[in-house]
Amino acid sequence: MTTDLDTIAMLRDSLERYSADRYSFLQRAPLLQLPGAFSAQTWQDFAEFGWLSLRLPEELDGLAGDAVAVGALMEVVGSRLLLEPLLACVVVASGLLLKQGSAAQQAELLPALAEGRLKLVLSHGVSHELCRYAEGRLSGSQQAVLHGDIAEQLLVPARDAEGQLRFCLVEASAAGVSRQAFRLVDGRGAANLQFAAAPASLLQPQAGAPSAEQALAEVCDEASVALCAEALGVATSLLRITNDYLKVRQQFGKPLAGNQALQHRMAELYLLTEEIRALTLAAQQAMCLPAAERARTLSGARAYISQAARHIGNEAIQLHGGVGITEELEVSHYFRRLMVNAALFGNRDEQFLRFVELSLADA
Amino acid sequence: MNKNVRERAQRLREQVRQFCRQEMPEALLDKAHRHQVLDKADYVQWMRLLQAKGWVAGHWPKAYGGQEWSALERFVFEDELARQGCPWIIPFGVKYVGPVIYSFGSEVQKQRFLPGILSTEAFWAQGYSEPGAGSDLAGLRTQAVRDGDHYLVTGQKVWTTYAQWADWLFCLVRTGNEGKPQSGISFLLIDMRSPGVTVKPIHTMDGYVHVNEVWLDNVRVPAENLVGEEGKGWQYAKFLLQNERTAGAIIGQAWHVLDRLKRLAREADASGQRPIEQPLLRQRIGGFELRFMALQEVAYQAVQAMVDGSDNGGEASLIKIRGTELYQDVAQALVEALGPAGIAFDSAALHSATLPPLGPDDSGGILKEHFYNRAATIFGGSSEIQRNIVAKVVLGL
Repeated sequence: MTTDLDTIAMLRDSLERYSADRYSFLQRAPLLQLPGAFSAQTWQDFAEFGWLSLRLPEELDGLAGDAVAVGALMEVVGSRLLLEPLLACVVVASGLLLKQGSAAQQAELLPALAEGRLKLVLSHGVSHELCRYAEGRLSGSQQAVLHGDIAEQLLVPARDAEGQLRFCLVEASAAGVSRQAFRLVDGRGAANLQFAAAPASLLQPQAGAPSAEQALAEVCDEASVALCAEALGVATSLLRITNDYLKVRQQFGKPLAGNQALQHRMAELYLLTEEIRALTLAAQQAMCLPAAERARTLSGARAYISQAARHIGNEAIQLHGGVGITEELEVSHYFRRLMVNAALFGNRDEQFLRFVELSLADA
Repeated sequence: MNKNVRERAQRLREQVRQFCRQEMPEALLDKAHRHQVLDKADYVQWMRLLQAKGWVAGHWPKAYGGQEWSALERFVFEDELARQGCPWIIPFGVKYVGPVIYSFGSEVQKQRFLPGILSTEAFWAQGYSEPGAGSDLAGLRTQAVRDGDHYLVTGQKVWTTYAQWADWLFCLVRTGNEGKPQSGISFLLIDMRSPGVTVKPIHTMDGYVHVNEVWLDNVRVPAENLVGEEGKGWQYAKFLLQNERTAGAIIGQAWHVLDRLKRLAREADASGQRPIEQPLLRQRIGGFELRFMALQEVAYQAVQAMVDGSDNGGEASLIKIRGTELYQDVAQALVEALGPAGIAFDSAALHSATLPPLGPDDSGGILKEHFYNRAATIFGGSSEIQRNIVAKVVLGL
């Protein structure tokens, strides 16, 4: 199923208009100061605009958005550096519930997510150690879970006594859950989570659901594609901001833009941005391909994009000069956002090695 | 881009693949696969085979004998030919001067020159660069002075590919010195057998002569051989350059050389080891695969933009920069993977059926391609010029 182009354009335009109106870089600064960098009011706005029900099926009043539709939103998330847990709640948690939740679990949790009443976060992404589940109890720990500090409930992948992968639902406030909240380098909140025989219920997959391993892999792929689009939003913003700056900044009696050495470096940033755009599209289209081909395209796209976007971030700072590393200028915020995103759902080296093995599998 | 355009392009790709596998004469295919030197007769045979399929000028309008291919069909055609390891289509007639003649030439010129270009009766060469005008082409100094119903042309051209075989030279000449350097340039068609034309070979490090100096000493050129208007040559030259930088061939070449590297790396060496199992080489090849994927996706998007008319003028530069740089890096890795055969070079073996002194049958040809393609980032607008174009046209710097 593909989302129609009008819906995608509508999504992009609505979030872009909202952000232009309420989420300028100056308006964003006070949001960063809130606990967990989370504004309940903004989140409620997101729910009312329908962005939180993007992934939900039509029978639950959702938009049944595909990877291109998700990408349209995530590109704006990147270009405006939105702080809210759209990726965690809308793409990952909703996605996993749709794949592994019982009808009752879906009926309870999906509307709560879509209406902004519940922040449900998968504790997965940076660390790969799995927790353990037995007889209604979860034990183990997870590090640096993005938005783990503001989640009301957690979805935790764990091994049961038979070694099977299961997904545990845990109340963040339950006895046996301790969390140490902190900020990531880009200002978004995270937490280290400790589970000491914390009460947990299991997601109960419906008949015909994919295996837990497959569902987790699919959700990680969907998150990866979304991160490609977010990187595109960051890259196009950094390219535009840096390009504009070179035209106005005067040194040696002329604009910096007049120096061929700098023009060529800007041309390189443009090339990289176009590659990010093309690979993002390829990754989105690959979601309909067979598993091996999809995995190859996705890991390749993530590996290339992580590196390319990081290079754009490095150069944006260098070309701005000293002001590039200041808190005051948005360049350093984009740069830090890229650092965090590159660590999520497989870093550059992991993605690259997976790509190499899938590419040379027959060798 | 609509579905019909895509389906037609896919059909063409299949047809090209079939043709390469079933209809290519074995001797020609063998030479091409080993990157042997092709002589003029080989190219004439090759181009005529393509013309028999209606492909040699498929991108031309139907009125002039083409098929009015979309940008995508043209891309796919060139990509697939190169992937199959076919010889290149010598571009000077069908790609370069042909479209200039049917776009800007007189009726007489169209009737006189286009049939010979399509049938490869006439070989063409390009008189653009001069010793003092390389990247800065508008600085050219070859003079054409009007003398009754003739021009008298004097000057020197350089890097003229296949001038040794050419019947005709399309030539940028200076007919005026007023205003900007670009404004005094005209586009002349010069018969290479005219008195005063001298061709001197330039030997390149691959042991072959691709390029030449062409000396023009008071050459009498009939004024009817002026294309379009006097002083508008720069405009026609820019039109031609747009055709020069087409994307398909470089993608296919990069694919082909990467495929060769992978095949070589999978062959067990004397000790029974397969080079591809070595972590460093494996990652190096994987890195090329990744760059190729990025190149292919970005090229596909660029061609789509051209078909839809949403291109911004930077696409061709992007593909040329990335494509040629990837090609060169893979070719270097391939030569290094040849081991001792990568430094053994017998140029005589390239001209005959004899085998190279070491390594696989095509090792000499691999070296020849490697040497020649060091120029790929220089000709047709160097990578530096391409970056200038992106900075100016796309970024407004």
